[in-house]
Amino acid sequence: MSLWFALSPLLILSAGGLLLMLADAFSEKHTDLALGAFMTFASAGIFAVALWIMGGVPAEVAKLVAPWIVLDKFTLFFMATLCLGGALSSLLAGGYLPEHGLDRGEFYALMILSAIGGVLLVAAGDFLALFIGLETMSIGVYAMTSFRRTNPRSAEGGMKYYLLGSFAAAIMLYGFALMYGATGTTALAGIRDALASGSFGYARDPSRLTTVIIAMAMILVGLAFKISAVPFHMWTPDAYQGAPTPATAFMSVVVKAAAVATAMRVLLVAFGDKFSSSWGAGWPPVVAGLAVATMVVANLIAIRQENVKRMLAYSSIAHAGYLLIGLVAAWGHGDPSASRNGKAAILFYLLQYTVTQAGAFGALILCGSKGKEAVSYEDLAGLGRRNPAVALPFTLFLLSLAGIPPMSGFFGKLFIFQSAIEGGFTWLAVIGLLNSVLAAFYYLRVLVFLYMKEPQPGAVEAVPMKSGYVTAAMVLASALVLYFGLMPGRSLDMAISAAQSLM
Amino acid sequence: MHSGWLSVFAFLVVSSLIGFGLLAASRVIRVRSKSDSPLKHRTYECGEEPAGLAWMQFHARYYVVAIFFVLFDVEAVFLFPWAVVLRELGSAAFVAAVLFVVVLMLGWLYALRKEALQWQ
Amino acid sequence: MIPIPAFLVVAGILFGIGAIGFLVRRNVIVALMSIELMLNAVNLTFVAFNRVHAEAHTGQVFAFFNIAVAAAEAAVGLAIVLSFFRLRRTVRSDAGDLLKN
Repeated sequence: MSLWFALSPLLILSAGGLLLMLADAFSEKHTDLALGAFMTFASAGIFAVALWIMGGVPAEVAKLVAPWIVLDKFTLFFMATLCLGGALSSLLAGGYLPEHGLDRGEFYALMILSAIGGVLLVAAGDFLALFIGLETMSIGVYAMTSFRRTNPRSAEGGMKYYLLGSFAAAIMLYGFALMYGATGTTALAGIRDALASGSFGYARDPSRLTTVIIAMAMILVGLAFKISAVPFHMWTPDAYQGAPTPATAFMSVVVKAAAVATAMRVLLVAFGDKFSSSWGAGWPPVVAGLAVATMVVANLIAIRQENVKRMLAYSSIAHAGYLLIGLVAAWGHGDPSASRNGKAAILFYLLQYTVTQAGAFGALILCGSKGKEAVSYEDLAGLGRRNPAVALPFTLFLLSLAGIPPMSGFFGKLFIFQSAIEGGFTWLAVIGLLNSVLAAFYYLRVLVFLYMKEPQPGAVEAVPMKSGYVTAAMVLASALVLYFGLMPGRSLDMAISAAQSLM
Repeated sequence: MHSGWLSVFAFLVVSSLIGFGLLAASRVIRVRSKSDSPLKHRTYECGEEPAGLAWMQFHARYYVVAIFFVLFDVEAVFLFPWAVVLRELGSAAFVAAVLFVVVLMLGWLYALRKEALQWQ
Repeated sequence: MIPIPAFLVVAGILFGIGAIGFLVRRNVIVALMSIELMLNAVNLTFVAFNRVHAEAHTGQVFAFFNIAVAAAEAAVGLAIVLSFFRLRRTVRSDAGDLLKN
């Protein structure tokens, strides 16, 4: 296998992104770039799956780009997941942007270029590649967030996201620098070896120990920010609400998945030594605390929201909390079986969350049209009767987000909680379970408005839009939600084999 | 042993000598104005008459030009180390750098076509 | 030879000034400048540590990439602030009060 083929998903995305950028600049008037973006994501995803089917990238090929880029099955799994999320988001953009008069082609180029950053982020085996991937992804998303140039909310959301994002990136970068100073390397595997080796003896050298701990804390802050864990979540609702909805879908799906993937790599690989990952002095209790705070705070605030998009933003923060439970379980006191199941649970959760969340935002797009965007719960009142074709997929995705069988979200949560119990964190699983019950309340509230309420007399009604692209995304996402929900076995097997390659 | 600190010290001494020296020199050789003329209170005692306030707003185009300058200028940071070791690295490094510049040029082409480089 | 901790202390102070500036000042342009200061402090740290780990140029290469990334980030940041200014006629970050719970 040649290196070109091994790197094909990344190369296809790069070529596609540049091509779309030029097509946007050189084409006369409206060209249909959404289809091009979808094809780019789809073909990159297909190449990632093809690499997987051929048994992954052979070690002698993967060695050529190591340690900067790690081409294991974990990377391939996330490449496919990110491409799936990107493909769905580009379909949503194809319907949303023309409808709302935002039909500027650079959106698609930005989306693909930022997805390249995401792919590089999940593949990064070195702080340098990690940082470049992170910034490539973030810069694209900042621009996409403030894409509605005439809308003050969009500019404000983008500005808050940008300021807090680059602040967090700077803190994380300082952590990288200190870690480099303490260990002499920026490669994740090299850092683990340096921290674990007896000859390093940093436990005997207090100044070096302090440096390592400060660096670790700073890197954790940066990661928690990107995952949008409480208390580093402040930007999330504002950025999600201000951004055009396809960009929101992209952020909550691709950016979140890539951030969680890199958190797994950094925490489980680089800080996977006995000391850094001990319950007494390492990162696991911090992550467990973040998980509890994230779930509880996000769910309590989500209940109070009147804006559906903002509610979905808080719900996406809450989902980050469930994923953090998985991260603690993936550490699992060093028990290999519990650790593998925890990692696999996160992977499966992210795969099904990608389709569910993108689908939910797509359904929200479909509920509104130009000047009559569906924003509040009231806007959705009675839509189930007036337009069942829109309400039905929305129902599907909300049930999946709430974790109600037979939707995919049920198995996502089930595997996470199961692995937490197996790893000896029954209390975390119980808190997670209580939180999902709490969360079901606000998801079901949308359903109540859809099916059981009628709009207030004289209120402005949200008029559902028609778009082939968004409909196609709905069909694809609904089918996948049902597939992951009814037949989770195959994708779970893939998640387990991807989890085993993470080391 | 402490030659590094010595150079810092020398730097401080020389720079302050230049600064204070110039001030002292101008005090000695300047042309004294005869009275408290209004000329003394201008921004510049000679040369251009300043027009308008210093707190004026610049045209937004300046920012666009500045952004482009920063972006394309800073990319040269990768070309300097490359140029230094090009001979040792051989043709593969040359191709890689050409590719890098081509991608940059694509960005420039995009900016050109979007008429971002024009002063409307 | 200037001892390496001197560079690290300077970098730490710069980083602190940047962080405090970011948290205290309400002018978005100043916040951008504070972030740049923090990134430059990181670059200084990297280059200083490279002298400790002189067997490779990892730290210096990292600093190069930081410079390029910081420029790209600043460009996008300026564009976002510009579009915010066009709509609100101010660059004060507490003017961003449209989005809240």
